[in-house]
Amino acid sequence: MKGVLVKDLYIAKSNILVTIVSLVVLGFGLSFLLETSALLVLAPVASTTAAFISITSDAASKWNKNVITMPVSRGQIIGEKFLFYILLAALGLVTALVPCVVLACFGGDVTFYSLCLYGSIGISACLLAGGISLPCAYLFDPEKSQIVFMMSFMASTGIIAGLVLLINLVFPVKENILLAFGIVLGISVIWFFISYRVAVKIYQKRDIA
Amino acid sequence: MTNAFMVSGLTKSYQDFVLDHVSFTVPSGSIVGLIGENGAGKSTTINAALGLVGKEDGMVSILGREELDGDVKEQIGVVFDGSNYPEILSPRKLNRVMKYIYRTWDEQTYFGLLKQFSLPYDKPIRQFSKGMKMKLAISAAFSHHSRLLILDEATSGLDPVVRDDILDMLLDFVQDEEHSILVSSHITSDLEKIADYIVFIHEGKVVFEKPKDELTERYGIIKCGAAQFDALDQSDIISYRKMDYEWQVLVSDRERAQKKYSKALVVPAAIDEIMLLYVKGEK
Repeated sequence: MKGVLVKDLYIAKSNILVTIVSLVVLGFGLSFLLETSALLVLAPVASTTAAFISITSDAASKWNKNVITMPVSRGQIIGEKFLFYILLAALGLVTALVPCVVLACFGGDVTFYSLCLYGSIGISACLLAGGISLPCAYLFDPEKSQIVFMMSFMASTGIIAGLVLLINLVFPVKENILLAFGIVLGISVIWFFISYRVAVKIYQKRDIA
Repeated sequence: MTNAFMVSGLTKSYQDFVLDHVSFTVPSGSIVGLIGENGAGKSTTINAALGLVGKEDGMVSILGREELDGDVKEQIGVVFDGSNYPEILSPRKLNRVMKYIYRTWDEQTYFGLLKQFSLPYDKPIRQFSKGMKMKLAISAAFSHHSRLLILDEATSGLDPVVRDDILDMLLDFVQDEEHSILVSSHITSDLEKIADYIVFIHEGKVVFEKPKDELTERYGIIKCGAAQFDALDQSDIISYRKMDYEWQVLVSDRERAQKKYSKALVVPAAIDEIMLLYVKGEK
């Protein structure tokens, strides 16, 4: 699995660098308009685009066919893509934290509470979107997968809104915002794990020619 | 003699094509050429044998093992037509990737082969010509101590000089009796140079599996007129084809045919002529 991950890091290298620079610049730029920690909502999602670049690159270069003949199982191939996705999301989150921490040091409007809140929303959106789009990337052809990839982000915001409304039926979300989004994050993690298992099952049966 | 590769009754159906109970072997220490026209089922056979596509029926044994696990995959090198690796990588970066994939990856062999083929270490693969990409793929396939090499149309579209270099490498590879090669190609002249056995697939079925020498040294084509053709014994005819000015008749023993039909012109049959007569001829 390590070799496949190294390959993906090489493919995503330039994209990752652009994302990091953009997030840092955007973070400082946003501080004049809104709360800088709001960047944590966008950062994990924005940084995971590199995972889809690697999936389309694998198909275009026929690496997805060649790698099956190497001592790497189909389960490991899928596992690596999900791991790569999480690593990219984590990298996006850490990068977005840089302007937040810097601004906090200079008295900016950044609190631990806002970091936790926006961070959990960002990671939830990212995991929900990935949970939809990653299995679809192995189920559909590259063109359809890209459409699903774009739509998955819209779907994830819809799912988060739906979950929050459901939680609101149990307890008032406005008074327990952090707890509510903590629950959403937990559900997103479970969703992402189930999605991984589904993707492995799909890929085990898929003909690659 | 043990078999490095064996398929038995391999079956796979698509909407418009059926790979129909394909069976053949690659004996250890030999080169087997899998021939057939485009769409005959060569790639489907290789893909089904390697687990790229699911088989409906049949058995596959590679290096004596029916299960294609990581240990077996360590010992096989596969080269497909065209691109095999992400084109953003350079050969040096590919080495870093491969050494984490193959336990038996041999950097020294890999860089030695790159040097032998005059391939640049740090140039992205996307800037490589088709021949360079193929040489790189073969270098990678040779760099993890493979015992079985599977090449699917790997020499298609390459110029004769590059093809000759690659064929020489393949011949060197099988000097050791432990190494074997299955090479699918529709360029039969390449296989005439290197193959020990020829397996001919047509419309998803194996038409024949024979030693190459038997095909090139024993098979023949009777070139005759209509009257001579009518006088031929039907049991001698494998297939025939009516051309503009003559009949071409494929026979399995040209010396016997020459003795039996002394007035007829019997010429040796090249593998592509045999293939053509099987595909386009009548029986």
